[in-house]
Amino acid sequence: MASLELLVIVALLGGVLAYLVGKINKVVGASLTVLVTGFIFVSVTYFGLNGSLDASITYLPFVSFEATDLYLGTYFGILVTFIFFMVSFFNPYFIDKYKYPSLYSMFYLFSLAGVLGVFFTDNFLVLFFFFELVVWTSLFLIPLGKSKRAASWYYGFSAFGSFSLLFAIFVMRNTAGSFDINDGLSMVGGSDQILVFILLMVAAFAKLGAFPLHIWLPKVLGNAPDPVTSVFSGGLEKLGAFVAVMGLVKLAPVGPVIEAIDMALGQYFIAILGALTIVFGTLMAIRQDDAKKLLAYSSMSNGGYILVALTLLNDTSVSGALYHVLIHALASTAAFLAIGAVNRQTGTTKMSELGGMIHKMPVTYVVYLIAIISIAGIPPMGGFVSKWLIFQSVINEGMILIAIATFFGSIGSFLYVFRPLAALFLGQELPEFKKVIKEAPVFMLLPMIILSGLNIFTGVHPSMILEYINNILGELGVAQLGITTWTISGNNGELYPALIAVVFGVGVVIAFIIFILLKKSKKVDLMDTYTAGNFIYTEELLHYSVDFYAPIERLYEKYINIMKDFYKGVAKKVQEFGSFVKYFFFTSKPEITVLWVVIVLGILLLWGDLL
Amino acid sequence: MSAVLLIAIPILAAFISILVKKWSPYILLLVSFGLVILLGYLPLETIIIGGFSAPYGISLVVDNYSYTALYVVNVLFFLVAVINVYNYKKLSTILLVSLAGLNGLMLTGDLFNLFVFLEISGISAYIITTTNKKPLTTFNYLVAGTVGSSLYLLGLIILYNMFGTLNMADMAVRIAASGASDIEVALPFMLMFIGIGVEAKLLPFNSWVKGILGHSNKLTGPMIAGVYAAASLFVFGRLLTEVFVISDTFMLIISVILAFSILAGEAMAYSSTKAREILLFSSIAQAGIAVLVFVSGFTGYAVLFVSLNGFSKVVLFLIINHATEVVGSDEVKDLQGLFVNNKLVGASFTATVLSLLGLPLFAGFFVKMGILSQLFSSGDYIFPAIILLSSVVEGVYFIKLLTKLWYKEDNLPQVKFELPLVYLVVVIALLLVVFGLYFEPLQDQAAVLVNLVKGVIL
Repeated sequence: MASLELLVIVALLGGVLAYLVGKINKVVGASLTVLVTGFIFVSVTYFGLNGSLDASITYLPFVSFEATDLYLGTYFGILVTFIFFMVSFFNPYFIDKYKYPSLYSMFYLFSLAGVLGVFFTDNFLVLFFFFELVVWTSLFLIPLGKSKRAASWYYGFSAFGSFSLLFAIFVMRNTAGSFDINDGLSMVGGSDQILVFILLMVAAFAKLGAFPLHIWLPKVLGNAPDPVTSVFSGGLEKLGAFVAVMGLVKLAPVGPVIEAIDMALGQYFIAILGALTIVFGTLMAIRQDDAKKLLAYSSMSNGGYILVALTLLNDTSVSGALYHVLIHALASTAAFLAIGAVNRQTGTTKMSELGGMIHKMPVTYVVYLIAIISIAGIPPMGGFVSKWLIFQSVINEGMILIAIATFFGSIGSFLYVFRPLAALFLGQELPEFKKVIKEAPVFMLLPMIILSGLNIFTGVHPSMILEYINNILGELGVAQLGITTWTISGNNGELYPALIAVVFGVGVVIAFIIFILLKKSKKVDLMDTYTAGNFIYTEELLHYSVDFYAPIERLYEKYINIMKDFYKGVAKKVQEFGSFVKYFFFTSKPEITVLWVVIVLGILLLWGDLL
Repeated sequence: MSAVLLIAIPILAAFISILVKKWSPYILLLVSFGLVILLGYLPLETIIIGGFSAPYGISLVVDNYSYTALYVVNVLFFLVAVINVYNYKKLSTILLVSLAGLNGLMLTGDLFNLFVFLEISGISAYIITTTNKKPLTTFNYLVAGTVGSSLYLLGLIILYNMFGTLNMADMAVRIAASGASDIEVALPFMLMFIGIGVEAKLLPFNSWVKGILGHSNKLTGPMIAGVYAAASLFVFGRLLTEVFVISDTFMLIISVILAFSILAGEAMAYSSTKAREILLFSSIAQAGIAVLVFVSGFTGYAVLFVSLNGFSKVVLFLIINHATEVVGSDEVKDLQGLFVNNKLVGASFTATVLSLLGLPLFAGFFVKMGILSQLFSSGDYIFPAIILLSSVVEGVYFIKLLTKLWYKEDNLPQVKFELPLVYLVVVIALLLVVFGLYFEPLQDQAAVLVNLVKGVIL
């Protein structure tokens, strides 16, 4: 038995302890985060899978947990604590770069406490408490990186999302009479239900970084410190998916049913926004030069897949969505960690400034390769299985446009995820990095290797996890997916993931044999390049990753800032309103104030006369 | 101990302090501290001055409401006095007078008596703000404040003419008994509302705030934005819950004014680049929320909100105004990096801001949840939406401010905070965290204060 509340307390106290220890020695403080997250992950996983998480201990006032029959929360809980655990291995290596190292360790663990609370509670108010806790603790992790402004963007969108959630919570409370999550979601009806649906979706979109509330995502993921980026992409974004499950699956569908596709209007609307998220994320990812920003936009478009799949409400789609949550968390964390490792060794994540890292960092290269194969949805990695489930549900539902968007996203991801691979890891080594670069330290490689192993495992033998997801489907009241040990049955036949993996493996072996047997390519120096008979001095400009997709980008580069300008416009309007009021009411002349008093009184008197 | 002493002692001490000028700062500290201690021995009772029973004589009311208010105001006053007494020795007498005025405001159960204390505390506030060395802004404040109290008096005269009593509780009873329509009493209440609204910083009657708090120093900032703001909101609360009859039309008018105050306050803070202005405009919005909660009848949470707000504003203004005095500018860009070498002060500032934003682990969270919960329970969806929307804006500019104050590489502002100030802000910040984790006392207090009903204090 493990008490959930004690785990939350462990995370909080661990945070305080990490802070105090970090004051003495920051590396030791950061190492504490590994211990604490590891402890929590193991407890949550072991006891969660045994169904013996205990909610009876209540040391904290007001906090209450639900542990029985809570497959959904346990699934998310295990996943996110795992991501926190894996990423924490990076903390000791990055702690030197931070301005406030001991605070970093503390807030890292505080966020974990918040995440635990959100996934395991049965009370909406407690959920909001922890939701907000995650917001502000993670908020302070962001400015430790490159940009200070990213934090206020993040807070703006997050606060908008969490306050929508709060509004929805209170509307449901008014109907159900209590803050119980299941009661609230099941009892709300009528126009209140539409309101709750919209508000929950705003919360989910803001947290997931889905269009049109996506602006903060690339800013935060691109600028936060590397471990924080990984945690955001793999862990904290999943809070949005959790809320989306509430709004799309647990809440009854909203709006009139569209006969042709047998789908409620509300769900269809979200599906369209999800599809737009996929398309915009993909298009923006193609443009990026910074590998972290590129992966950030890829995260955004993957959020779109989850949303689209959740709207369909059948066995393949919901299980696909839940599986995709897992797959994307594993793959994107691995990819971000790999980029983070490169960043630590070289000090940059810009593709045009790097090259040939494979020679010095082969393990990191393989980790990144496996991760992006999964992100692109190519067998034998997990991404293939989840996308297979999602695609066929979309097609089966007859939603042509949305199906096109999902395919576009997948093909687009071929275009962009392989670019960092080619630009960062392959190609020639830059002269300035030739001597100094080494492979990342062992304890940084460890989590990356574990994540890669899981990326493969989820693709080769998904039935174990899908069986667990079937439990969640049962809990959510959705039909269960047909699976056996080696097959998954979908709408258009059965899938044999292990068989695919074997065929793929054979192909790799054959390719490797050919590679060994054939003549080796000649190694040339990067500076060993000539054009039109001239020696090249600015080889960066000729780096093939510079303006790689310029022709495609030209098609839409005029339109990329529309949403950003919109939000900047909103901010500007608020500012103008403020200045306007200041100008009219806050003069240095007292007579103006008196005038306003008289005007207000005059209006009131007239009003009274008329009424 | 009689509640009369809370007014009499500071007044007497003020006279004595004129006679022994040298000792006046010590008298101030002694009296101020003594009153905080004495408060512990104050019984809950209604005191009738001179033995003239209720409608005829003046009564001082010590109930749960005024007791809480007295504690908050006196503790805040003492804290602000301790920090400043050394630098503003000459003001000791005035501060004593203002303490008497403030305590009177909290205690009195008589509408005309309230006006007297309003003037006493007002006049001492004008004198205190002269230390800003901006005579014009003080003059502004004086004009605005006088217009405000005149309007209050005008409204009161009309009421007296109609009902023939000045006692708050008696007034409430007589209004109810007379069967006067809501429209008939709307005008005097409106005049009084505007009158107190000037002092409580409601838009559009509050132009003095920018001049006074925008140029405030370590004394006037916390004093006006913390102590006086809390006191005037408590007075507002007393009138709104116990005297005013709020008709639908009146409520609509108030709602518009409050919504405008809240939204415009946050927008103005968002558009400001000066640290002091950010704080002062944000406090306008907070005042709007406080009055809103009072008007809606949720006295308990309103009192908690006002109290927390008072403590928070004292911390924020103390820190910012001290830094401003040292650096010589209150532009945020000049203060950038302030907390890099003042981590403890910075942590307190941050905790206070987070509490103000209503984030979990801080006391502000429960107060905000309580307020929203009550508003939602009453079936109102518009004001919660306004509060939440304004909170988003508030969060963004405060987070911007925080990141700027915490992050800068070189050329840091050379500001050192003296020990008493550091102790004070750290203790208040710690209390905010403690009550954020252990909030049952707050909830109990809110529950006690909910029981205020009209006419009970008679």
